[in-house]
Amino acid sequence: MPHANKFLCSFAALGALFFASEAAAQAHSHADHATTENAPSDFLDVPATSLIPGDIKIKPGVKNPAAEDSGSAQRGMKYFANFNCSGCHAANGGGGMGPALSNRAFIYGDEPEQIYLSIAQGRPAGMPAWGTVLPKPVIWDLVSYIRSISDAPNPQWGSTTSLEAFTIEQVPAEFKETPDPWKYTEPFSFGQQPRPKKAAGEG
Amino acid sequence: MTRELRAIVVFAVLCATGLLVVVAAHAQPQDDVQNEPGTSEGSSIPARELANPVTPPQAEDTADDTAPEVDPPAASVEDEQDETQHGETAIYSNDTDDAAKPASGLEALSADPKQWPMAGRDYGLTRFSELNEINIENAGRLQMAWTFSLGTNRGQEAAPLIIDNVLYVVGPYPNRVFALDATTGELKWMYTPKPNPAAQGVACCDVVNRGLAYNDGRIFLNTLDAHTVALDAKTGKEIWYIKLGEINRGETITMAPLAAAGKVFVGNSGGEMGVRGWLTALDQETGEIAWRAYSTGPDEDVLIGDDFEPYYDHYKEKDLGVSSWPPDHWKNGGGTVWGWVSYDPELNLVFYGTANPGPWNSNQRPGDNLWTTTLFARDADTGRAKWAYQVNPHDLWDYDEINENILLDLEIDGRARKVLVHVGRNGFMYVMDRKTGEIISADKYGNTNSIERIDLETGRPIENESMKPELGKVIRNVCPASPGAKDWQPSAWSPRTKLLYVPHQNLCMNFKTSEVGYIAGTPFVGATVDMYAGPGGHRGEFLAWDPIKREKVWAIKEHFPVWSGTVVTAGDVAFYGTMDRWFKAVNAKTGELLWKFRAGSGFIGQPVTYEGSDGRQYVAILSGVGGWSGAVAAAEIDPRVRNGALGFTGAMQDLPAYTLGGSELLVFAIPETDRAEARNTYGGGDHAARQ
Ligand code: HEC
Repeated sequence: MPHANKFLCSFAALGALFFASEAAAQAHSHADHATTENAPSDFLDVPATSLIPGDIKIKPGVKNPAAEDSGSAQRGMKYFANFNCSGCHAANGGGGMGPALSNRAFIYGDEPEQIYLSIAQGRPAGMPAWGTVLPKPVIWDLVSYIRSISDAPNPQWGSTTSLEAFTIEQVPAEFKETPDPWKYTEPFSFGQQPRPKKAAGEG
Repeated sequence: MTRELRAIVVFAVLCATGLLVVVAAHAQPQDDVQNEPGTSEGSSIPARELANPVTPPQAEDTADDTAPEVDPPAASVEDEQDETQHGETAIYSNDTDDAAKPASGLEALSADPKQWPMAGRDYGLTRFSELNEINIENAGRLQMAWTFSLGTNRGQEAAPLIIDNVLYVVGPYPNRVFALDATTGELKWMYTPKPNPAAQGVACCDVVNRGLAYNDGRIFLNTLDAHTVALDAKTGKEIWYIKLGEINRGETITMAPLAAAGKVFVGNSGGEMGVRGWLTALDQETGEIAWRAYSTGPDEDVLIGDDFEPYYDHYKEKDLGVSSWPPDHWKNGGGTVWGWVSYDPELNLVFYGTANPGPWNSNQRPGDNLWTTTLFARDADTGRAKWAYQVNPHDLWDYDEINENILLDLEIDGRARKVLVHVGRNGFMYVMDRKTGEIISADKYGNTNSIERIDLETGRPIENESMKPELGKVIRNVCPASPGAKDWQPSAWSPRTKLLYVPHQNLCMNFKTSEVGYIAGTPFVGATVDMYAGPGGHRGEFLAWDPIKREKVWAIKEHFPVWSGTVVTAGDVAFYGTMDRWFKAVNAKTGELLWKFRAGSGFIGQPVTYEGSDGRQYVAILSGVGGWSGAVAAAEIDPRVRNGALGFTGAMQDLPAYTLGGSELLVFAIPETDRAEARNTYGGGDHAARQ
């Protein structure tokens, strides 16, 4: 069944794609970023908490090398699906087996370097450790994407839950694929069918 | 070589070898990631490889609590600290009544209306109790008797067990077990296992547990990280434990085991992670694996042999568990066994259904994908399949068929028939001959537009062409949605009213498939799902169904899916709970509401009823919303992102405005003053109608 083989090997294809096209591009971009490459020791100073003895401020020297790269979040979106992050965290990071990444409430910190470490090291309650599996630039693109999808509207310091306080929902991912899902919202549906209920031309 | 390049090379090598599994670049590969065809001996896994049932925990087992090690030390810290016990038991009191010896045999216990000895109450899973002190005349006066907090506010799906006035109950991860005096609520002991916390990440649909099993003075517990443990029912001390699955392959266990024929039957979960499903029979005494029957792969793994006599001819070819798949896909093809097992002692057969194939994206797996979404009848001693029936060949919409198979003796068209009633996730109510696997009838009981009818000649469903998934296209308004017209939440049967009481949901969905790669231990889904209320706008229903006349008798619409189980009694009262925190008693004949109680959290648990040492009838249920449907209110899930929780968020997004998670066992009874009167007057104490 050649058809089936094609699909079964989609992951293989993905790997090959990496090897053939992106490896070269990455090698190239590494040359560019040679000066901004993060030293492994810089990561050792990234705190997993905001509580630091002596009340000192820490600003680790880790930078997202793709911070200025406008295509990074878009690539991150693709990786989020390809590496099955979306299976656990859901499309647009709405949460499921893993916690929601669609708001600013991060258990392990929302700074880019903290998100990087969450992905690379894994987290104890069921987040796999991807550090030895994914190349660094891929993880940084995932960080860019997560920073983007977590940029939820933030009208209050806390959040209020009530039937009245439910006002918006995202246009669901089956209709809109974007690294900026909070730019596309609709009125809250209260468990009913979302808009658009019918596509143009449908009976 | 830079680390990046090394990772890429690992990638390329993995892909080139076709071993579609990601392993860490530095760690050694997990051993035996997939069983190769032909290399597995029969289908049973050598018990010694999985765990040592009687001696202290092995290094292999303890290693999974820590980072992967290449060479685990022979004796771990854990071994030194605790030589005999895997988890901890705390004893609170020692006043167990020695005179109250457990009755012998589960059948005897089921025949005693005081008891609730297994999740389904009896081997036929009828969830019918002969008690009638609480009845349609006095149920309106029910009052709280006592409560107990399990301390973990995630989905509470478990059925409490009651054996000789001791109530045993298990919570969601971390799966603590409690033994309480069923009359006073006094805590006798508590057992704390130590499941690997990482298991929480690979449990598809909240970290639930559906209950314990009991037999011969032992309690059997499944933990989320795929261990089974036997405890001394009296003391809570560990007797044996065994590791049955590997969370790094996505395997968890959430089902309630069934104890029968000297064995404990356990199945795995992980259908959303491309797990290969199995049902395993453990020796009740030692915990050793007696047999394991896989749901996919060669006949020798599926335990199909010469004595396999399926009713429909197209199941008679050899090795269909291989040939109905693209090459090798059966190795991560799903068909997990996370629902109910029933047992017919006379035929010595166990009955159960298997879950969806992986991935949900059906385009990736041309073929019927046997033996996923399949009902099996197996010999309890050998595990060999007697018959099988695949409910949803080449499943298109994630219709697992793990729902309960209720065993009844019914008179149909003038003939006495031993039937199995399967309340299908696909929205059809199957009445089957349980000796042969023949479908007697299959009727729609919910809103279903995805399947038009079941062809009784071949047993195959006739699907609606316009609802079939197409890669990358949004198919709208597929009914029922992935959780089906009914999910795991079990129905009850009353031999008095001859009605089946079905808690279920009314949901439809938008369904869009996409290609997905298999990476062991991560989701293997390939579908973007968005669920919402079905026709009428209500999301749940409590239904009374006549399986002989094949029609709905009455139904109660509910705002949210009815995700709790149900129980029906000889007092003609049916109990169920709602996700918006109501526990309800209804007249089993008419559906009239008799009583309701507003609890601390929504209900997805299984109500049970029993008699205490004071002779009173009690009704017990766990309150605590969660599960696949309720995860949005109990876990960190965003109600504004509809595709969360595998698409269930869309349908449940307003639930957090009604309830949060909880963990309270609630026990009810009628006041003392109403009791004597109730006993003497209701229904003449008619215990005769039981089939
Ligand atoms: C098997 C399921 C699973 C997969 C696959 C998965 N995650 Fe997670 N993830 C989790 C769980 C569970 C947690 C929470 C862990 C904890 O609290 O200890 C988590 C936590 C995280 C966090 C930290 C969130 C916080 O609140 O601080 C980030 C960031 C994250 N995951 C990103 C990703 C990315 C990116 C991928 C894909 C490369 C991914 N995850 C794949 C289950 C998963």
